[in-house]
Amino acid sequence: MDRETRIAWLVDHSQRPRFKGKLPDADACVPGGNPGCGDIITMYVKAKPGDDRLEAVRFEGVGCTLSQAAASILAELMNKETPTFGEILDFSYEAMLDLLGRDVAASRPQCATLALGTLKGAVKTVEMNRKLRAAGHTDDEIARLRHDPVQSA
Amino acid sequence: MPEIVAPVADIADRGYAHPEVLVSTDWVGERLKDPNVRVVESDEDVLLYETGHIPGAVKIDWVADLNDPLTRDYIDAPRFQRLLRSKGISDNTTIVLYGDKNNWWATYAFWVFKLFGVKNVRLLDGGRLRWVDEGRELSIQVPRYPEGNITISARDDRANRAFRDQVLQHVNGGRRLVDVRSPEEYRGERLHMPEYPNEGALRGGHVPGARSIPWGRAVNPETHTFRPASELRTIYEGENGLQKTDDVIVYCRIGERSSHTWFALTYLLGFEQVRNYDGSWTEWGNLVRAPVEKP
Repeated sequence: MDRETRIAWLVDHSQRPRFKGKLPDADACVPGGNPGCGDIITMYVKAKPGDDRLEAVRFEGVGCTLSQAAASILAELMNKETPTFGEILDFSYEAMLDLLGRDVAASRPQCATLALGTLKGAVKTVEMNRKLRAAGHTDDEIARLRHDPVQSA
Repeated sequence: MPEIVAPVADIADRGYAHPEVLVSTDWVGERLKDPNVRVVESDEDVLLYETGHIPGAVKIDWVADLNDPLTRDYIDAPRFQRLLRSKGISDNTTIVLYGDKNNWWATYAFWVFKLFGVKNVRLLDGGRLRWVDEGRELSIQVPRYPEGNITISARDDRANRAFRDQVLQHVNGGRRLVDVRSPEEYRGERLHMPEYPNEGALRGGHVPGARSIPWGRAVNPETHTFRPASELRTIYEGENGLQKTDDVIVYCRIGERSSHTWFALTYLLGFEQVRNYDGSWTEWGNLVRAPVEKP
């Protein structure tokens, strides 16, 4: 993809975001943001029951073109591939820059990787919730521990 | 046709010390085809220009174009000259900067242009937001101009840029410092959002003695344009005791918001000695043993 086509692709994702909106039955809802420029992303993650694998991802957010395009592109990729938790945690910020195109994204790495960082946080939340549940904590207790509006399924 | 938006007084009637550095949307709108005027968009949002820009405007990105790719510094004179010439800018070109975020990055570019001694540079009052709110035309066509011939001399940081040692001298000397970040950042309550990595500072608070005057106070939120000089004087001089002859250093997180205040103090109020500390809190908040004040 040449630079012009990639910019058009990014702008299109920003203007017509895919998988944007709440995921009502999410296992985790994690906010992330860049205080400097005001980008905000909230990632909703639903995991496959009994499996360390993603089932669905949606996001909400406001901010710059790149941060919102990156969230849409990442959500589309995750919903298509439904990777394991390990694959998501191993998905590097460098790989995210490559996915978006370094000639555009490398000058704004925080905007480009905000969605991925937030997604990783959401996956870690799901993992920890499962560990807490296995240790005997109830969903209400976990929610209280996290001050989390979204309770574990 | 421009849409009806909150009206603003003519720039010439607002009492500024140097009104010639500001131009209105009307002024730009009448000169879109003037070969001696080059409109330059500089944004925080790296792709905003590509979604539509003032017809004929070129783009200068603060990271990709103005920052040295290795050292935390700005590019040197030969590279800056090449950059401006590639945008079709010549010695007789009037450069008009504008951008998003109420011109944060446009004033930052303006400040960098001044480090290189560029004389004929102006700022679009109200920035991109005012242009858009007025319903004016945007274009996605990227213009190509013949190579310009502007001559750039060596960068001189002394008059307009402050470094950390100078900030420390300011602290020890009890001289004027202005923190233009949000009150939460000033009070050290906010370094990063929940569940997101700290964005680069290990300590929160402010440089001792700094006054908290958030950058946005210089702007009328309804029109996005600068407040008239009388209101600016009330904010900076009346409420905060700054004087035109003070030796003032302004800072924020990385120097972009403070370039906005540097612009307002220097050009709109005519302060004689204002320097922008672009190291700002991402440097000061990480410096070992740098004094920090917190309420």
